[in-house]
Amino acid sequence: MMVLKTLDVLGPLHGYGIARRIEQISGDLLAVNQGTVYPVLLKLEQEGAIASEWGASENNRRARFYRLTREGRKQLQVETQDWEQTAAIIARFFEAKAEDLS
Amino acid sequence: MRSVRRFLSRLGHLVTRRAQDERLREEIEGHIALQTEAHLRAGLSPMEARRQAMLKFGGVEAMKQDYRARRGLPFIENLLGDLRNAGRSISRMPGLAAVIIVSLAIGIGVNTSIFSWIQLILFQPMPAVSGAANFLLVEPRTETGGYAGASWLEYRDLQKQVSALRDIVASQMVPFNVGERGQTERTHGQLVSGNYFSALGLKPAIGRFIRPEEAERPGTEPVVVISYDYWQTRFRGAPEALGQELRVNERDLIVIGVAPREFQGTMVPLKFELWVPATMAPALLGGTRDLEDRTMRAFSLIGMLKPGATRQEAQAELSTAMAQLARDYPEASAGIGGEILTFWKAPRGPQRMLISGLAVLQGVMLLLLLAVCGNTANLMLARGSTRQREMAVRVALGAGHWRIVSLVLSENMLLALLGASLGAAIAVWGTTALRVAPMIGVFPILFQTKVDGLTLAFAILLGAACGLIFSAAPAIHLARLDPQDGLRSNSNTPPRSGARKVLMGVEVGLAMVVLIAAALFLQSFRSARQTDPRFRPEGVLLAAYDLSGRNPDEVSERQFAARLLDHLRSLPDVEAAAIATNVPLDLHGIPRRPFTVQGRVRTEAGQDRAISNTVTPGYFKVMGIPLLEGTEFAGMGDRTAPPQAIVNEEFVRRYLNGADAIGRRIQTRGGSFAIIGVARNSLYDAFGEPTQPAVYLSYRDRPQDQGEIHLRTRSGNETAVTSEARAVLRDLDPMLPLYDVRTFSQHIERNLFLRRIPARMFAVLGPLLLGLAAIGIYAVVSYAVARRTKEIGVRLTFGATSGRVILQIIRENLGVITWGSAIGWVLALVISVRLMTKGPVNLPVFLGVPAILLGVATLACWIPARRASRIDPMAALRHE
Repeated sequence: MMVLKTLDVLGPLHGYGIARRIEQISGDLLAVNQGTVYPVLLKLEQEGAIASEWGASENNRRARFYRLTREGRKQLQVETQDWEQTAAIIARFFEAKAEDLS
Repeated sequence: MRSVRRFLSRLGHLVTRRAQDERLREEIEGHIALQTEAHLRAGLSPMEARRQAMLKFGGVEAMKQDYRARRGLPFIENLLGDLRNAGRSISRMPGLAAVIIVSLAIGIGVNTSIFSWIQLILFQPMPAVSGAANFLLVEPRTETGGYAGASWLEYRDLQKQVSALRDIVASQMVPFNVGERGQTERTHGQLVSGNYFSALGLKPAIGRFIRPEEAERPGTEPVVVISYDYWQTRFRGAPEALGQELRVNERDLIVIGVAPREFQGTMVPLKFELWVPATMAPALLGGTRDLEDRTMRAFSLIGMLKPGATRQEAQAELSTAMAQLARDYPEASAGIGGEILTFWKAPRGPQRMLISGLAVLQGVMLLLLLAVCGNTANLMLARGSTRQREMAVRVALGAGHWRIVSLVLSENMLLALLGASLGAAIAVWGTTALRVAPMIGVFPILFQTKVDGLTLAFAILLGAACGLIFSAAPAIHLARLDPQDGLRSNSNTPPRSGARKVLMGVEVGLAMVVLIAAALFLQSFRSARQTDPRFRPEGVLLAAYDLSGRNPDEVSERQFAARLLDHLRSLPDVEAAAIATNVPLDLHGIPRRPFTVQGRVRTEAGQDRAISNTVTPGYFKVMGIPLLEGTEFAGMGDRTAPPQAIVNEEFVRRYLNGADAIGRRIQTRGGSFAIIGVARNSLYDAFGEPTQPAVYLSYRDRPQDQGEIHLRTRSGNETAVTSEARAVLRDLDPMLPLYDVRTFSQHIERNLFLRRIPARMFAVLGPLLLGLAAIGIYAVVSYAVARRTKEIGVRLTFGATSGRVILQIIRENLGVITWGSAIGWVLALVISVRLMTKGPVNLPVFLGVPAILLGVATLACWIPARRASRIDPMAALRHE
């Protein structure tokens, strides 16, 4: 989902860019191995949420750029909603005080 | 949905694997390069920058592994890998693989051919008719157990009263003489009810079929449906055949349609060419009363169950209906019940006999296949052991037991399926070769066996089963392997392989059973030609005539036969001539007639039955059967002598305890006869039959509308009189063809046809199996010897002679072989006593086969043993 959101915001991006972006946004809290992003990308591509093609990176290297497909955008929407719903429910649990229940 | 998509995409990756690997590698490189640059910008040294980038990226190989696992389908990839590996390892042992594949192919091919016969008879008994196996026979049955056939009126009644069956169909087999006077040709057809074709669910190749209303009123619709083959041969497949007239039994019939290509009628395996409405019977058969007379039981009925109806219901309804008919028409139906039978149990026709024969054959051939499997398992096991190191390495590198098993399995399955496909090819060839069956007896017969989906599935299933069977042992063996052991040990202490020896024993045992069966069969077949039939077939010409189309009465039948014989005897080359209703050694056998004889009281229930043949005077002279007592039948013109019978020796021995037979009276359903003579025993039904009691009746007393002419020629050149005999018959009656002309020897050969097929199979398969057994034993022994090179070397250095070494190796292996063959021998003995012969045990076979088998086995042990004994002790000790 983070990958999808990244691509949604930044447009087509290569694997390194995605990994960097996730690190930055999370404020380096999620310092996972950057390599793990590739299996995730593969899964998403197999599902049709993203597509990829070769392009030139900033340093003029050949790099593979991933972009969101229409399918992916839809998926992102659904997942965002789901997430917001879940988050809202959880939030309400935390806000709920003992007296509210009685 | 998403997972489906992923699956498809992963499937796709199977093809593009290499390109994908490349792509990933490039991506990772790009990633690290970018990260390195970022670090450089942050001021790190190039080395450090790259190191940090790598660290950040994480374990490249682990990621790659994860990536790969997600990308493709590891299961299928493994399988493909296994197959590739299997292909490679098979191509590395072409000789062994060829032996395995060819032996499996022959085993599977033979089994599939036999299965195609069984499936034809059981599942597809009427070619071109779909679901034909669901048809049931509706058979009126006499108290004595005979199947009498149904009369036309009875058919009409049953059609209404047995409501559990829909559309009961009636048909009657009739010989037709087709063509103009003087050049008629004999063709077989069926008189059928109006619903015949529609109930069978057939569509005409061209034209139309008989309509129900065309079989309602007698004699009104002179129409005929012809078979596809007949259309092709007689009309050259021209559509103009429709509407043409065909002269049948001196009546013109209009061709209205052509039956579908493979359709051959409802009395398989007989092949019919013409179908005519049953109501044409009086017109075609000289005013027969078939359609009105309830005693004329000439029709066969078949029908299919209505949806939801059961066979029990049909049987109950039939019994009720038949009981009612017996009350209403006692003179025609008293004592006649009804029975519903499955189609292949047809009382007329060879299906029943064929099925039991084929079942035995199939059983034997499956045993053969099992022996082939055992052999293959052994070969693979021997080979598998030499690959222990390879497997140990695989296990050590982390292959699970299942991977090892699947590796072995895929290799063997590939072999098995290659064998199965070659086997299917053999079966296709075999069944088409068998399709061209000759005419048997008077009737044209066609078995339309073919390899269809079911048979193919059978072949593949057999192949897969074989693969599993012969994979089991090596797979288990290798999977249980301890990798350390496999890597360390280098033939120092070879594990004693019990499995191999047991397999060898089993294989030899199976080979023994099959070889004995084959030998018994071949011998009975061979002896068939050598046995003295106790009559003289040499120099006898046989030919048939049939007056049934004229519907003659007894007087004219008797006159015709008498005149025919007079004319034939006047031919210069004819030494003796006679007519009989049955010819011995016919495929269909000679009917047995129930009788009672004066001076014999039967104690147990049931009836005495004897072979019964109706013959003209002179028959015994033509056949060369001496009369031991009494006299020959009275002449055909004699009107004073009482009805006469001649019995054979066995009859006198069995039913009269050897007392004087002459003058006693014998009572059959056909009347009462005085015994006037005793003839020598001879063969009647088949070679190798036990001696059977027989009764000959005289043609004078019981004239028939058809007969088999027997001519003994002076010159011994029986074919020379054929045209003269034809001319004689044409003089007597220009419309009557002489058909089925053959010498007696040809008659015998032809009727051995069905036994010749399995005889040929056995003749090929017997030696093959022997060869396979030898190869199997050879492989096991030479492998065992190879592993014991060192031990043998030690023995030789300590002074053992090579003879002793050979002897010891042979003794060790022959023990198991002897056990296996002993068990097989006993098994074969039990089977042969139970199933095959009732006579004494065939000693030459039961001693000869083991002798040959053990001889071959010893040889197969001796060759590798001798090789082992020749090794240089020093070389053997240095072996490692």
